[in-house]
Amino acid sequence: MSKRAAGYIYASLLVSGTVASLLAFRSHANLTTVALAMVLVTMFCALLWRSGPALWASVAQVLCLNYFFIPPYRTFTIADPANWIAFSAFVITAIVVGQLSARAELRAEQAENRRLEIESLYDELKKATDEAEEAELLRRSEALKSALLDAVTHDLRTPLTSIKASVTTLLSETDDASLRELLEVINEESDRLNHFIQGMMDLARLESGNLRLTQSTTAIADIVESALLRAEVALSKHKVEVSLQEGLPNLNLDSHAISEVLYSLLENAAKYSPPGTFIRVTASLNGTSIKFEVEDQGPGIPSALHQKVFEKFFRAHGSSHARPGFGLGLSIAKGIVEAHSGSIWIEQGKDSTGTRIIFSLPVQSPPQYE
Amino acid sequence: MSEAKDKILVVDDEPQIGKVLRRGLQARGFDVRVAPDGESALDIFTIWQPDLVISDLAMPNLDGLGLCSRIRKASRVPIIVLSVKGEESTKVEALDSGADDYVIKPFGMDELLARVRALLRRSANTAQEPEARMEAGDFQIDPKTRAVLVRGSEVRLTPKEYDLLLFFLSRHSTVLTHKTILQTVWGANSINQHEYLRVFVGQLRKKIEADPAAPRYLRTEPWIGYRFEPGL
Repeated sequence: MSKRAAGYIYASLLVSGTVASLLAFRSHANLTTVALAMVLVTMFCALLWRSGPALWASVAQVLCLNYFFIPPYRTFTIADPANWIAFSAFVITAIVVGQLSARAELRAEQAENRRLEIESLYDELKKATDEAEEAELLRRSEALKSALLDAVTHDLRTPLTSIKASVTTLLSETDDASLRELLEVINEESDRLNHFIQGMMDLARLESGNLRLTQSTTAIADIVESALLRAEVALSKHKVEVSLQEGLPNLNLDSHAISEVLYSLLENAAKYSPPGTFIRVTASLNGTSIKFEVEDQGPGIPSALHQKVFEKFFRAHGSSHARPGFGLGLSIAKGIVEAHSGSIWIEQGKDSTGTRIIFSLPVQSPPQYE
Repeated sequence: MSEAKDKILVVDDEPQIGKVLRRGLQARGFDVRVAPDGESALDIFTIWQPDLVISDLAMPNLDGLGLCSRIRKASRVPIIVLSVKGEESTKVEALDSGADDYVIKPFGMDELLARVRALLRRSANTAQEPEARMEAGDFQIDPKTRAVLVRGSEVRLTPKEYDLLLFFLSRHSTVLTHKTILQTVWGANSINQHEYLRVFVGQLRKKIEADPAAPRYLRTEPWIGYRFEPGL
């Protein structure tokens, strides 16, 4: 049953109840009392069920008033002109009261709706402010992390700077072979420590989502050139072959980070393959991605370990070869490549010896560090 | 024989680094003074008139960038900045503020000394009058005839290539940012045309380098710009 229909039914019940009681107490009620009671009923109907049922109640009561309470009784005729006036006054009062109270009720409902609307707007605003505050907090904590990393880098590298500058000064001033040997140890170990600090910092930045984005449109040739330049010393004992496919598109990426990936692959290749062998670097377009490859002619990595080498602190080559390395390079490389929605993997070298590390980057992919 | 020693002002707020640099540079025959911050460096600079400044970037009060631009207002003295931060933006900022070169901490003394010698050689060269023949390493340029000799043999260059080489030679051994080169050779409207510069550098390399794929003179400073080393 609809709410509106219910209103009419309740109004009808109320009207019949009222008319029945008035009929029962007819001896004690004059026409004024009856009319007032009926106006009251109309008002209640208007307040409770709005203008429709109120109007219905007034019409029903007008008929009842005329039929039951205005002489001659049990007819719809009115004999006395004074009763005509009373009857008209009742009709007008009942209708006006009904309409007025219904309108007041409507206004109240509109006001309530507005209140609800304002409340929901306020909630939205509050939510937005909360989110903004949260973003600001996050930004501040990112800034804090970044500042902390900078401070740690500074504090670790400053003493290293004094050590390295001192030891290289001493090295340039002495010819004493046994003294030089020890000074070389200090020199090399401070380089190693510095390299390690760099690795830890890169990893910390990557994991805290703080690796700085210098996202820009970059030519692939620039990425390869800068990696080769950085690896110049490490590669000096190898024959390096570079082949870049003609007409490669520019990439929108964190150029420094990607160049870093290529650099660590080159450095690894130089580290784990004998002097005099080839190291091949290629970049080519493969569908919608660019494929970078670094291949060496070293002993290769057993296929069982192809996944494991990308784990932190893992080193594929046995400790019998005391070679420098931290096992961080490849896990950092993986982090950077994946942040660019790319992937990195290992294949057996072409002549089924050596290692070929490949990473591919989608042509349109701004980096998303988590 | 008693040639005056070159004077080097070292600015670093870390006393140990100041100590080591003083000792290392003095051993190579330089006259060295150390300032712990930018403000006192400016005072010493004004009174002492050093031939070269080596400055840290992060310092209290006046930092390295501020010091560079203050010195540049008054002098063409070569400046090398030292920084623990290896980021390109920091380097470019320092170079654009007037530094001639940067060295990342930690560094070997030999590397720093090589940069110091190269910059001192250049500032000795630029003391010449501008219309005179320019000579540095394997390069000779006669601005009157626009003739260019590389390792004794003449090289034919287009006007823009000539302008570019002349600029590189006049500021050799210095790191020049893309912005600086484009602004000087092509004008202020071209400072974002990195691709343009790359093409011209490629052409110039083909004409002056023995192996353009492994350039010896016109060296790339990744993401920053170029450094011209005329050879010795």
